Amino acid sequence: MFYRKTTEQIKAATRPSSVGAKAFYNNPKYRGWIYQALLLIFLLAFFFGIISNTLDNMAAQGIKSGFRFLETSVGFDVLMSLIPFDTTDTYARIFLVGFLNTVLVSLIGIFFATILGFIFGIAYFSQNWLIKKISIVYVETFRNIPVILQVLFWYSAVLATLPSAKDSLQIGDSIFLNIRGLYLPKLIDESGSSIVYISIVLAIIAVFVLRHWAKKRQALTGQQFPLLKASLGILFGLPLLALLVTGVPFHFDYPVLKGFNFTGGTNIIPELISLSIALSVYTGAFIAEAVRAGDQSVPKGQTEAARSIGLKEGRIMSLIIVPQSMRVIAPMLNSEYQSLVKNSTVATAIGYPELFTVFAGSALNQVGQAIEMMFMTLAVYFVLNMLISCIMNLFNRSVAITSR
Amino acid sequence: MSTKEFKPLPAQPAPVSTVGPVAWVRENLFSSKFNIIATILIVFALASVLPGTIDWLFISANWSGTTEAACVKDGACWVFIRAWSKQIFYGSYPSGELWRVNLCLFLLVVIIALSFILPARLRNRVAVPLFLLLPFISLVILNGRLIGLEYVSTDKWGGFSLDIMIAAASMIIAFPLSFLWALGRRSNMPFARSVSVTCIEFFRGTPILALFFMGSVMLPLFFPQGVTVDKLLRVWIILVLFMSAYMAEVFRSGFQAIPQGQYEAADSIGLGYWQKTMLIIFPQVVKISMPNILATFVMVFKNTVFLLVIAVPEMLQIVMTALSNSNWLGGHAAEGYLFVGFIFWICCFSMSMMADKIEKILDTDKRD
Repeated sequence: MFYRKTTEQIKAATRPSSVGAKAFYNNPKYRGWIYQALLLIFLLAFFFGIISNTLDNMAAQGIKSGFRFLETSVGFDVLMSLIPFDTTDTYARIFLVGFLNTVLVSLIGIFFATILGFIFGIAYFSQNWLIKKISIVYVETFRNIPVILQVLFWYSAVLATLPSAKDSLQIGDSIFLNIRGLYLPKLIDESGSSIVYISIVLAIIAVFVLRHWAKKRQALTGQQFPLLKASLGILFGLPLLALLVTGVPFHFDYPVLKGFNFTGGTNIIPELISLSIALSVYTGAFIAEAVRAGDQSVPKGQTEAARSIGLKEGRIMSLIIVPQSMRVIAPMLNSEYQSLVKNSTVATAIGYPELFTVFAGSALNQVGQAIEMMFMTLAVYFVLNMLISCIMNLFNRSVAITSR
Repeated sequence: MSTKEFKPLPAQPAPVSTVGPVAWVRENLFSSKFNIIATILIVFALASVLPGTIDWLFISANWSGTTEAACVKDGACWVFIRAWSKQIFYGSYPSGELWRVNLCLFLLVVIIALSFILPARLRNRVAVPLFLLLPFISLVILNGRLIGLEYVSTDKWGGFSLDIMIAAASMIIAFPLSFLWALGRRSNMPFARSVSVTCIEFFRGTPILALFFMGSVMLPLFFPQGVTVDKLLRVWIILVLFMSAYMAEVFRSGFQAIPQGQYEAADSIGLGYWQKTMLIIFPQVVKISMPNILATFVMVFKNTVFLLVIAVPEMLQIVMTALSNSNWLGGHAAEGYLFVGFIFWICCFSMSMMADKIEKILDTDKRD
């Protein structure tokens, strides 16, 4: 006889094991807790093992713990320091020296990498065949060669072949380049120089205020203001005026060849030069790629519309394409800047005294407290990266699509 | 009535100014004032740099010979590379045993080829397990003690083959691990998620150099007293963890790209979590993540050079040692670094090209 199963019967027949279905371990919620408890137990055991092993090992090797070492004196000198430093200073001081050097090279790197990246990224869209090819060659060459190799190349294959101090390459009588680095004239303050500095700050503030006012006026009345010319006028005019009024309270300290070496002026050591070049060129290639992707993300119709209202090619780039592509570029810039800061550790291959080289390298060799010192070093990189992330997120918010 | 048939005149050739090389040059090199100046400047710069470079690299370079004394001409001394080529590629692995290194590299190539050639069912059954076993098979072959060959300690392994093998071995182990981390990061379990996030962010936020350094100075402290772990093994662990963190992020973006409907469909046919993940989601994630996985591999491959700071004899480290060798003090840094750079460039560039190609092949959704 034709027999029709009820839904309940079908369910009962097709479910293979309905017995355990209601057991607590089959409830996803409880099961989640069980897994997590197991994970927790595993981690606790893991860390307990590591910590007890570490303590044993440290006791056996006679390694001290704690941050006492920071107050003891270092006993070695560094190649370059932004703050006064000598061998009797403490480890805390050398930490600061390394930190400042890291920040310095990161800032230089970020500055030049951004410029290089934008130049070559935009060059990709040039109508000139040669410029376009050069952009491609630049990106594909420097992106695919390890950065540490580039640093070493600049340092020992290029800068090491520079002439000695006696036959330096020179521009005029003030800038010299030789195997010991780049020598620049140094600006020395005289009394009254603070007025000039204040005028520079005032000029920058004035430009911001002016920009705000001009934008507001354009939004209200449609009248444009020659912002660029006015800003440049203020930026250069105000400090110039201050210079004239105070009677130029500066003089230059020129580098002078004495014996085998230069004295006076500022010396930029070859380590810093090669590290800056390598980091900017390497990161610049990645930024160029990001800029290219960003520009490609802007629909073609935008360019066409801009052309049809008669904008020039340069204006199309700066007014239409770049502002829109920044939304795509900004997050990528963020991660490139962060990897630049992390890559600055390659300095250790050539001995530029940034944080990793002096603190996790030389200082660690002397003190031997690996855990504390690596912790301090890594903390700096995390903080720097977070700082970059925060700044770039603010920037990102300012370029994001604003819906009205 | 006669009809006049319409006969068109033969078409005239296009004006010289719109076709052919002249037009191309006009359009691409001299289309505006700016372009004219730029072209002239670039051509001038190239003309002043290129001939000298080519001359140094090839024409007046020294190609043959075995010692530094053979470098008599002004150009590059490629004899340097030639004399050191065995060390550059194999480190100080014993000369009679080099076939073992070659065998491992050959196996790697064969298994990669197999995973392309074999049909899907066999691929999952044969190629994937072989892949996962390959690092261990290679370890046994290279070490040699277990299979009765001459024992070669890990400090003798080196050169470019080490760069390739350690990057590949890290990639293979990092693959399943990173997938777990990515799953953990997406999981609903708060504790598991925070553990995954911490792991991923720690290894992504730390410079690789610092990680290698930790591997060499801190990891030994973590093991029980008396246990010494081989340096290369420690490096391997570090590279695996480092790579897993980056790949986990690659997989995460892969997960996010899978349409929600796929998860729901899998749920609605009654698949459990692991069935759903492994049968429905994983294959799609791997497919769309392939270009990024390759990019991550390129990054890690480039990063193997950083091993020189902890004195692992990889290619660049060996070149640097050779540069300070007392028989080769004539300053061959440029040749050495250019050569290493060239090798890395070829490998990385071809892999990025491959990634682009795979991206285009896999981009099936957008094709009508």
